[in-house]
Amino acid sequence: MSIVDLTSMGESQAELRKEINDRLSRLQEDVSDYCYQCAKCTSGCEAHKLLELEPHKIVALLKRGLIDEMVNSDIIWTCMSCFKCRERCPQKIAPVEILFALKNMAVASGKQIPGKYSTILQSVLSMGLIQDIQEVTMRDTKTKKRGDLDLPALSKPSDPAKFQAGLMKIAVEKL
Amino acid sequence: MLGESYMRRIGVFVCHCGVNIAQNVDVDALTTYASTLDGVVVAKQYKYMCSDVGATLIKGSIKEHKLDGVVVAACSPRMHEHTFREVVNDGGVNPYQLEIVNIREQCSWIHSDRKKATEKAKFLVRSGVAKAKLLEPLQTSTLKVTPNALVIGGGIAGIQASLDLANDGFKVYLVEREPSIGGRMSQLDKTFPTLDCSSCILTPKMMEVANHQNIELFTYAEVADIEGSIGNYTVKVRKKPRYVDIDKCTGCGDCATACRLKDRIASEFDMGMGKRGAAYMPFPQAVPLKYTIDAEHCLFITRGKCGDKPACREACAQKAIDFDQKEEIVDLKVGAIVVATGYDLLNPESLYEYGYANSPDVITTLELERLISSSGPTKGEILRLSDQQEPKSVTFILCIGSRDETQCTWCCRIGCMSALKHVYLLREKLGDDVEINVCYTDIRSYGKGYEEFYRNVRGLKTNMFRGRPSEVCNMGDHQKIDVFDTTTNKLFEIKTDMVVLVPALVPRADAGDFARLLHLTLSGDGFFLEAHPKLRPMDTFVNGIFIAGCCQGPKDIQDTVSQASGAASRAATILSKEELEIDPLIAVVDEEVCTGCGICVEICPYEARILNEKTKIAEVNDALCTGCGACIAACPSNASIHRNFTKKQLLNMVDDII
Repeated sequence: MSIVDLTSMGESQAELRKEINDRLSRLQEDVSDYCYQCAKCTSGCEAHKLLELEPHKIVALLKRGLIDEMVNSDIIWTCMSCFKCRERCPQKIAPVEILFALKNMAVASGKQIPGKYSTILQSVLSMGLIQDIQEVTMRDTKTKKRGDLDLPALSKPSDPAKFQAGLMKIAVEKL
Repeated sequence: MLGESYMRRIGVFVCHCGVNIAQNVDVDALTTYASTLDGVVVAKQYKYMCSDVGATLIKGSIKEHKLDGVVVAACSPRMHEHTFREVVNDGGVNPYQLEIVNIREQCSWIHSDRKKATEKAKFLVRSGVAKAKLLEPLQTSTLKVTPNALVIGGGIAGIQASLDLANDGFKVYLVEREPSIGGRMSQLDKTFPTLDCSSCILTPKMMEVANHQNIELFTYAEVADIEGSIGNYTVKVRKKPRYVDIDKCTGCGDCATACRLKDRIASEFDMGMGKRGAAYMPFPQAVPLKYTIDAEHCLFITRGKCGDKPACREACAQKAIDFDQKEEIVDLKVGAIVVATGYDLLNPESLYEYGYANSPDVITTLELERLISSSGPTKGEILRLSDQQEPKSVTFILCIGSRDETQCTWCCRIGCMSALKHVYLLREKLGDDVEINVCYTDIRSYGKGYEEFYRNVRGLKTNMFRGRPSEVCNMGDHQKIDVFDTTTNKLFEIKTDMVVLVPALVPRADAGDFARLLHLTLSGDGFFLEAHPKLRPMDTFVNGIFIAGCCQGPKDIQDTVSQASGAASRAATILSKEELEIDPLIAVVDEEVCTGCGICVEICPYEARILNEKTKIAEVNDALCTGCGACIAACPSNASIHRNFTKKQLLNMVDDII
């Protein structure tokens, strides 16, 4: 017996689904099976307004086990991790965490990831920030550096190798 | 001890409960084992011991084997102890020489290992037989019933229960906290799905309550204390001072017109949207049709000064205003109690994203109800609160806090239908040109005539969006809502003049305190817990106290009225008896051992214990004792004994299995 999506001819990947749910159970309070598709997540999704990300559909596809379809799709990279869906879900499900899991799966299986992600990753690994702190333009259109505002210089990892190892450890432990 | 046990002839009866027990307990082995036990002369098994055939089997065996004690290994005694007591009684054995061994809830249902479950069942049966050998024959006693009823809460549930009981011929005391009876239903304009005018169908019932010779009404009053038990409760009712002599007040309204705070206090009845004075009547059809002076605001009461003289007192031609009124406590004697204390609406501020606190144009269903009502603050005109203009677009958002794991996990059961009713009424009032949007999660139109109503509303140019908005943004002159509609798979932006939130139904804020006062139990959601969800839906775990309406859980008016009539009927089964049988399984005092220390008197939660001043020995009031066992555990000299749960009997149970 089987259930087939006639559009993509995709079949339910029960084992993969279980694996993702097991991982997610450590990150969100309830598993996606409780989702009743009220779409409150999508109604408030900042990325949807820009780029067609529909978190409630991601949850629905996970419920059905149609995981390859999502991992192969570009939309999983459009989430801007604002966590609004997690904050407001009436069933305590976190579509944002599902997207993290899918992104990790995509990376693990060697899928191409959007270029900007590599830049951000490099930046985090080298200095612990997603981007270098820029000069700030004030209301009077003058630019100021941190030093001009009497702010101390940002600290950077003193031992980059140790820092990167620590980061990797956290990443492995979490997912 | 042994001498006694050898005298006994015990029969053991093992029930299969269909497959409920048989599938996880080897009933053949259990029966064979039971027949080998000391004192057992016969052991039998049957598929359904609680059936007629099972009963005949037990009665036949009692006769054939001259049994003087019976052990039934079946389900929980909560289910069938009563049934089997009747059976053994019919068979000629004292009903209290029956011991139930629970091998369903305690064995077959909770264990998956059949072998071990069977072993455990054998142990339980063995100890049951050990106890049965020592069970004493007991007789029930009786107590007189006070044929009066107390109904707490004067909403539609309390009104219906009072009328039913009063028409059955019982004296009814109806206690209501507010100045008038009527409850939530009196705030409604129309009711779904028939669109009956709420006050047109409610007011006649309120008048009937007011005029019924068997009903004594206590409005502006609360239950302060309760003592006693089924058949004989003594209830203290605290009557708050109204500062108006209701025997003199004619309801003319001169005091309200004269009141210096007229139209300056937010009216609770109008959900804070209308205004009233300190001397007020909550609504024109109030019962009793009497005025009340609100002590919280009245200038004369709060400051001791209201102009030269209190304006209301000067205006009242009947001299009904009496500022010397004091709180009064009234003692009522009743045999049964119906609790119908109703519900609150969830304050939508707890879901900050829906902006209830940010704009006066985001309102709740109950507020809209008052706007629609011709007796409401706008005299029935639908106006935005921000600019008093008619809205060109109204958007409903359903399930505010309902079916929500972070707020209320339950469905409010009336939200969908009340919103659909409002769509209908708004279309009627505002015409075809007004845009009406409904954002829903699921429409639950489960009742009789409800689906038909839903279909009609769909035909009324209603924009149905299946989706929950994530937030309501206050844009000043309008509200903006983004909602993803899962039926079209599109994200819509709705700009609307007025947003109506349909909040969850929640227990009364003081439900917990009230439950403690009456020794009631709350379910996980905070509503009062019924004794059994299917078979005893109006009963509580306190004998003689019944629940009706939304205090038990959210429900619509139809269900509330049915349940109220049901609760009244349950109360009448007690009140209609002159005497009640008292279960003899309660505490007794061994007078020779009691030292009169009085610890049992202090510890008894039901005030069933007194210390006899003359004999210096503790006594048990049989009518009040529930057999909870607190005094037995507390007694330092072992003088408190629980009938048929004596130390000797219990130790024998333990001795036999270790």
